[in-house]
Order: sequence, then structure tokens, then C-alpha cells
Amino acid sequence: MRFRIKHVTQYNYAARVTRCYNLANVIPRDTARQHCLSNRITLSPLPATTHKRSDYFGNKAFHFEIQKPHTELVITAVSEVQMSNKDHELNLDLGISYKEALEYLRTTNRPDVMEAREFVLSSPMIEPSDALTEYARPSFAGNRSLKSCVADLTSRIFKEFKYDPQFSTIATPLADVLLHKKGVCQDFAHLEVGCLRAMGIPAKYVSGYIETLPKPGQPKLVGADATHAWIAFFCPEEGWVEFDPTNDSLAGSQHIVTAFGRDYFDVTPLRGVIFGGGVSPALRVSVDVSRVVDA
Amino acid sequence: MPAPVTSPEPAQAQAQSQTQVVPLQPLEYKSRSGLLDDACTADGRVKPEWEYVLGSLRDLGADVLQEREQKARRILRDDGATFNIYSGEGGPSSTWELDPVPYIIGSEDWARIEQGLLERSELFNLMLRDLYGPRTLVRHGLLPPEALFSHGGFLRACQGIQLPGEHELIMHAVDMVRRADGSMCVLSDRTQAPSGAGYVLENRTVMSRVFPSLYRDSHVHRIASFYQRLRLKLISLSPADEPPLIVLLTPGGHNETYFEHTYLASYLGFPLVQAGDLIVRNGFLWMKSMDGLKRVDVMLRRVDDTYCDPVELRSDSRLGVPGLLEVVRAGRVVVANPLGSGVLENPVLLKYLPQISKSLLGREPRLHSVKTYWCGDDEDLKFITANIRELIVKPAYRSTGITSVWGGDLSDTQITQLLATLHSKRYQYVAQVRLEKPHIPAFARGTLEPRPSLLRTFSVATDSSYKILPGGLTRIGVDTNSKVISMQSGCPSKDTWVTATEPERSSSVDSAPDSTRHSAETPLLSLPSRVVENLYWMGRYAERAEASLRLLRTVFVLLHGEEPITPTARKILLQTISDTTMTLPGFAAASKQVLADPDKELLRIIGDGSLAGSVKSTLNRMLSAADESKELLSTDTMRVINDLRDAMVALDLALASGLTSAPEEALDPLVTALTALSGLMHESMIRGIGWCFMELGKRIERALQIISTVRCLVTPVTDDVDQSTLLTALLVSMEVLITYRRRGRQRQGIELGLELVLLDNSNPRSLLFQLQQLQHHLAALPKAELKHGELAEEDRALLEAMTSLRLSRLPQLLDCDTPVREDMEQLLLRLESLLEEFNRIISDKHFDHRTDVQQQVTSFWSEQ
Repeated sequence: MRFRIKHVTQYNYAARVTRCYNLANVIPRDTARQHCLSNRITLSPLPATTHKRSDYFGNKAFHFEIQKPHTELVITAVSEVQMSNKDHELNLDLGISYKEALEYLRTTNRPDVMEAREFVLSSPMIEPSDALTEYARPSFAGNRSLKSCVADLTSRIFKEFKYDPQFSTIATPLADVLLHKKGVCQDFAHLEVGCLRAMGIPAKYVSGYIETLPKPGQPKLVGADATHAWIAFFCPEEGWVEFDPTNDSLAGSQHIVTAFGRDYFDVTPLRGVIFGGGVSPALRVSVDVSRVVDA
Repeated sequence: MPAPVTSPEPAQAQAQSQTQVVPLQPLEYKSRSGLLDDACTADGRVKPEWEYVLGSLRDLGADVLQEREQKARRILRDDGATFNIYSGEGGPSSTWELDPVPYIIGSEDWARIEQGLLERSELFNLMLRDLYGPRTLVRHGLLPPEALFSHGGFLRACQGIQLPGEHELIMHAVDMVRRADGSMCVLSDRTQAPSGAGYVLENRTVMSRVFPSLYRDSHVHRIASFYQRLRLKLISLSPADEPPLIVLLTPGGHNETYFEHTYLASYLGFPLVQAGDLIVRNGFLWMKSMDGLKRVDVMLRRVDDTYCDPVELRSDSRLGVPGLLEVVRAGRVVVANPLGSGVLENPVLLKYLPQISKSLLGREPRLHSVKTYWCGDDEDLKFITANIRELIVKPAYRSTGITSVWGGDLSDTQITQLLATLHSKRYQYVAQVRLEKPHIPAFARGTLEPRPSLLRTFSVATDSSYKILPGGLTRIGVDTNSKVISMQSGCPSKDTWVTATEPERSSSVDSAPDSTRHSAETPLLSLPSRVVENLYWMGRYAERAEASLRLLRTVFVLLHGEEPITPTARKILLQTISDTTMTLPGFAAASKQVLADPDKELLRIIGDGSLAGSVKSTLNRMLSAADESKELLSTDTMRVINDLRDAMVALDLALASGLTSAPEEALDPLVTALTALSGLMHESMIRGIGWCFMELGKRIERALQIISTVRCLVTPVTDDVDQSTLLTALLVSMEVLITYRRRGRQRQGIELGLELVLLDNSNPRSLLFQLQQLQHHLAALPKAELKHGELAEEDRALLEAMTSLRLSRLPQLLDCDTPVREDMEQLLLRLESLLEEFNRIISDKHFDHRTDVQQQVTSFWSEQ
């Protein structure tokens, strides 16, 4: 399956911006189940310099510097991504149990385990708390398979939390999300990552896109025409497995990954410093995911 | 000569210098039983390497040593050697403390320490390379992942950055103490932006001047080559082919070690810059200088890495340059120490150092580190919990604002709280055993007493290895029993002498590197525009302070003079003060009572630092501007600036009891110091662009002061008696009374006075003279090409001011039948606005005005 993604970010400023320095995370990375075939980023106004590189997490970072005075900034990223054709068939009941997984993580001196342990630690936007542990605990039983524990947690978040774009901002603390049981995909991903880490399981935050064409007989998936977020957890001897708490599913061939990180902070679509610009710039984001017929 | 009444030194130092009449015993050093001593053996005999120095000091005697100490203090003060300056509004700056007894290390002993340090720096370099590269230490289990990944100094954005050459770690400082068995034990490593090497240089310079023969005969290993090595290493890091531009990045004048930044920058010949002096453009880093942008090739940073780039590191930082990290990644500028190097300051590394060293170097480190327990390790946490009262608890990440605590100092409740923290944030804390600090002799209270000591050593990378500074920075406790030694708590420092055991033996060590210096000239220094702007303001504030003081002095003399003055004249005089110092409303809105008893308001105008326009506030601004442009000021100038600081302290004391008799006397030292400053600027400053701007500032300010004073004193029409009083005030404050009297043999009156003050171009204090000087300096500034022979805006403003003044006719300006001389008032107001305009144009054209900076973050999802 091949997707074409057009991601447009537009800023309108109240006052002139004389120059700016930015870092964008808008290029889909390669993963075990996807390959980015092409990517083109166009900027308005024209940048003084641009630079693509692979960052600490293996994501594709795009840097640009604009030295022209402007009141509007438009970043258009168009990518084509090849997804592996088969959706992951995962038998949730097989594999290592939760208890064994904890023991494995503690005692196994293997490079992939050592690296995964980074993702148990707290991160800029996700601090451990008793509330998280308490919320997560019912899904985890020592003898139950780890995958089924995480699937259960994912389902509970889906069922018990209300999708509400009015509720949260990028700065909504996890405690508030947990208290009001509301949020958007980003909050649910943060929440699930926090729960997994509270239970000692390495978990990553995944940002990306989701194809929202309703399949015949299936409901339209939430998050249409937007960037999306879900999670990945480290399953000993299997590697990283992705779940989507906003849609109560495994991440499959409709989930196109942009970047992995500890949390949103590591994979912010656009961050930077601008000189000038006045107060409250207006931001518009539009995402368009469409299928390309395989040649 | 202004006599410094008090010097701005810490109370403790004063107590030492104002020695109570102590019966002078011979200067013998005796170790105390039960205290670990580094100068004496366990049975109390002086160690051989100390014999020569202690013997020489004994021969000198306490009196002479006292005198040398005073001399050292004077030199430090004249050099402006400070630690933590400006604690708040013009607060006292703290003079660097140097104990006159050097710390002695024998050369054989030093050779062992040096070997250990060489190895340690190599090891830390390999660790740095690994942690931001393949991370095999973590992947292969030699360092627990949590120890690295939860450390605030591990900057993920710096992954993969590599410096040219063999070494990533350029500067490495190590704090250590000597143990009872004679070996050194490391307490901590400094790899972020190690401070102290500049102070070492200053200490050495002072010691070699104060004890020339003792220093010479002790055959002390030289340290200059260390700084040469540093300079050469930085040059070799440059990615450019042509001679590199190397800058030293400082957080600014409020940093506690700012003196060292200015000192090192001028010693190494690098421009000292702040973040605002730099800009990233088109993928390169540039310095904003008066003659445009200059490409920067190498940066020696004294700003912590997390603050260096708000785009990718701490977004709230104002000390960094947006976009810097990208320039670094592209290899177009090299930053030393590299961004991310703070990760090596993690004390958890000390716990794992032996096994890391075995893996990277094939052996355990020769130089031992203090025993360190990590709360992140189960066994260690148990041990810490059981022994917390015998341990020092430290945060793993130094910048968190949490300081170390000694468990023994805590109450039961505090211990419970601390343990709860250690258990909940396990990865963030370590505990260490407290090592007894060895005592060494220090001169205090007229005798030599043992003080606990700590040594900081310095390594710098060379092409193939490291060069260790022979000696280092020794710090001692404030008394024999002090437990904590830190510069922040005002501990004195010592020069550290690595000496050959036999003073006669000539030392050939270490002379080689200097001769290998090849032609590596840095390009001619160009100034960051910020420095120039500060010189301009220094000129303006100095002039403003001087003018205010002259006027105040004049008014005091007239108010308390032999001849009584009328209430009208009194009112005008006092209002002139409020008006020209810009402390309005002040006397302009004052009641009759206040005018009759003006002391309170006058005191405010002189000594209230929080009142903008007061003499004190103006002088404080002048001193801040001087600090920002320190690297351009000569030693003599720094000395005069110190005199000014003294005079300010003296004035505070003098005014504390109100305006007593002859208050004008109290202002004299300040006027003298300001005059000396202005003389020095004129006589000993290179006539470069910096001087030009300082002169511009001075001339603009003087012109504005003349205009304001004339306007206040002469535009009101008064009777003859008052007219004469006010004219005297004008002539005295403008320093032309004598000329007036001399010329007055032919003519008299206000017309002659005004001619002298406004139009006489042979009077260096006349308005016309100021305008001519402005034109002269303006001509020397760099200018953009203008078309069709058009005048630039600033030329235009100045020419109009000049012409208006020259075309004016004094009799016409003075003659009028209204209560105010309207024509004169109009002319002066016009001149004032033209000069303000001129000032604005100059600032806009030549100084850097930063626009508002803000963060750009997209929200994550789109609203539908």
C-alpha cells in the first residue's frame, strides 16, 4: 500500500518577523513496516538554509533558517510512503508474561534492552505519579501476557476517556487528563506511555498520520485530516509493538509514522525561535492522506 | 589623591588587615595534632618541599608578609580581580582573595599527579566520544542506562557532533584533595566550562610580583605555556583556512567569574562576546562588529551548554544564539568544550569509572576518585539508607539548584524527608564519603595557621595528548575547622607552586612548548558593537555625573556662602539641579518649606541609588558600562574606576549623617576621580572606533548639560542681584569664572558670560566647542555611501544645531520685556531636540537593537 501525505503548516503573524530558526519533524521516518519513498518540503518565504538529518531517535529532522522579513510562513511537506502490505497479525495471548518481562528487562544484558530502558524513565512531559500507577495496575497481572496487558490498557483508555478537542492544549498536564477523562490523541498517547512506564515497561510516543477513509462496513476513524499520535512499547524478544489508544487498535497499515520519541517534546512538528511577530500568531494545519495506486 | 577610606572587601578580609596589635611571634608553622597536614609529616616536621618557602617566610617576618599581602591586595584590586560582582543595585563587588603563602607540591610528586591527570583526561575524552556516539558503555552494560539517560547534562540534540582532531574534551578541570597516604583523591570533574584557569594566571602574576626573589629561587614550574597550548588548540580547531576568528562567549557582567572571562579574553587575544553580539545567518555564525558581520570560527564558551541555543536546547535561554547547534553540526563553527560535555560531570560516573577505564584503557585509573554510592543501585541505596549521617548527598545533575548536604547536619525529620526523596528520585542522587581535607599554612592574624585545602587542576587537549597546568587553583577554608570550601562562601585562594626540591637545581622542564609556537596570528581584533555602545554610554554617564557634581558643588557654595541669596535665586538654583539631573519634579514642585530646607531632596539627588538621575544611579550605570567594556580599558583606568567605587562608598558614609558643614567637600573625591578618568581616556586610549564613540557620548552629554543649565539659570528674567548670583552659578559650574574675571576688565555682565559658555570655541567647555568636536568625531565613523552628495541624517541634525547657534545674536537673545527670555528659550529647546535627534540616529545606525524573541511551537492537532 502506498500513501501520499500532504502536510501544510501555516502561520500568520500580527507583526513582521525579521528572521526565524526552525526545526520541523514532518518527514516520515523508515520503520520495520514503512519506507519513505520521497519527500519534498517547500517553504514560503524562501529559506536562507535548509538541512535534513537523522536525529538521536533516528527520526528525520528538517532545519531551516529564514532571513527574509515576513508576516506569513507556510511549510508544505509532501511525502510518499510505502507500507508493508500485510497488517500485523498478533496473537495477544502468546509471548512473554508481564512478570517475566520485568525480570527480563532487569537482568538481560543485551544492547537492545539497554537502549529500551531509556524509555522507562520520566521524560520532559511525562512524570511518573501514583495516579498513573493506580490507573494502569488493573490491566497488569503477573501471569498475563504482556501484549494482552497492554491491549487491555489501550481498550480501557479508549472506553473510559472522551475524545474532546476543546479540552486540551499542548500544555495540558497528564494529571488533568486523568482527572477529567478527556483529551485528544496526543493526551491519550501520553497517558498510555505514562501508564506503561509506571508499570516498568519501556514505552515510546509515536507521532504520525492516519488514513481516515472509512473501510466498507467500518466506522470512520477519529483524527481525520490531522496529525495523529499513538504509542509503542518494548516487548522482550519481539521488539517495539504499536498500539493506538484513540482507536483501540494495533497500529496497522493505516498508521504512518513520522517520528518516535520519549514524548511530544522530542517530536514536535515545528519548533523554533522567531524574531518579532507580535502577539498570538494564527496557526493553521492541514493534513491530507491519500492512497496512491501501486505501479 | 582621593584617600580610600574603606575598601570594598569582605568583612572577613578587613578583620585580617586591620590587625589587632598582635605580639609578633616569629613566623613558624605548626601543624595541629589530629589534623591531616600537607606541609608537615605526621610527627610534625616540615616536609622537605615546604622547607625553603616556609624558611624564607620566617626570615621575612610577619610585618613584611603583612605588607606583601597588602600589596597583593592592591594589585588584585587594580586589576579588577573580582568574584561575584554586583549583587543587586550597584552592590559591592567582591575582591578576589589570595593568601600570600603558596601551596607547594614537589616536582617528583607532581609528576605522579600529572600522569594520573593525563590518563584521566584521556579517559573522560573517550567517554564523551562514546556517550554521544555509539554508546557502547551503555549497550554493553558498563554503565547502567539510567545513569546516563536520566542525567540532565545528557543532551540528545548533541548526538553525533564531532570536533576535528583527536579530542572532544578540550578543557578538563579536576578537584582533588591529598589523603593521609600522600596520594591524591578526586572529588569531582569539571567538563562543562571549567572556571579557574584565569584566576590561576592572575594569582601567579601577583605572587611573582610580590615575592620576586622567593618566586625565582623556588624554581617554580612556569604556567604560561598552558595558555599557549590552549590558544594553539583552539586555533587548530578552526574549520577555516584563513586565520581564524576565535571568540570567548560569556553570560555577561553579572556572572560570578566575569573577571576571569575578561582576563582570559585579553590574555589570549580573543574578543569577549555575549550572545547578543552573535548571530546565525546563512548557516554560519557571525559576530556583529562596528565594521559589519565577522565570521566566527571557534568559540570558547563560558555559558553552560543547555543555554547555548534556544531553538534546540533550553527554549527559555537568553544567553544563547538561536540556530547555533545547526552551525556546529555543519562543522562551520567549533565550540569548546563541545555542547553536551556537561554529561561528564555526572558523579555516578565515578562509581563505574574503574570498570569503564578497564574497558576503554585496559586498566583501572591511577588517580582514585572519592567512594561514590548511587541511589539508583539497589545495594548502594541500602547502604546509603543505613549510613546517611556519615555521607554527603549530592544531586547527580549540578544545575538543578539542589546543593549537597552532609547527613550529619540534619535533624531526624530532615533525614526522613531526604531519604524519601532519595527513594523516589533514585537516579538523581549520589552519596559520597567525606574526605578529610589536608591542612596547609595560611597567613592570618599575623601568624601562619593551618587551613583545610582543595586543589583544582586544569588539562587542555593538545594535538596528541593533554597538557596539564603545573599546579592549579588552591582554595582554603575560612578558618582551621571549616568543613566547606567554596568560592561562593568567600574562601581565599592560593597560588600553587610545583617546585624542584632543591631550590638551586635549575628547572628546564616545560620551556619547550613555547618555542614550538608557530605563526598563528589571530586577525586584528574587531570590537563587538555592544562593547562600543557601552563605551558610548560610559562617556555619557561619566560626563553626566561630573556635570551634576559640579552643579551641586556650586549650589552648595552659594547657598552656604557669605553673602545671603534671595528666595527667588535660591528657588531657581535648586530647580536647576532637579532639571539638569532629570530628577523632576523634585524642587520644581517643592513647597516653600522644602525650598528653605532643601537638604533632604539634595541628599536624594546625590545618594539615592534607586532614583534615576541621582549622582549615585548615574555612577552605577557608568560602572556597569565600564564592566561591559572592561577589555578595552587600561590598568590605570581600572585603578581610577576602583577609586571611583571607593569614593562612592566614602560618600555614602559621609552623607549618612545628613548634609553637615561644607558638604561640597564630600563631593570632591568623586569629581577628582571623574576628572582623572576623563584625562586617562584622553591620554591613554587608542584612538580607535571605541574612543570615538566614547568621545561622542561625552560631547553629546556635555552639550545637553550646558543647554539645560543655561536654560534654567538664564532664561528667567530677574533683578540685578539675582542675575549676578545666577550668573556666578553658571560661570562656576561651567568652570569659566576665572576667564570671565580676566576678560571682564574690559566688559562685564551676562552677555560676556553667555559668550564664554555658548560661543567661545577656545573654551573646551563651551557649547560650540562640543558641537565642533561632534562633527570631528562623526567624520571618523564608518559610513554608508550616499547618493548625490546628500548629507546623512546625523550630519544634517548637527549642521543645523551648529548653524542655529552661530547665527544667533546674544544681545537679541537677552533683550526682552517678558518674564522669560523667549528667543533664548526657543533656541535652546531647538538645540536640545536636534541633539536628541542626533543621539537617536547614531544609536539606530551603530548599535544593536534586538527585536523581541519568541518561541514558535505548533499545537499538535488541527482544529476542525
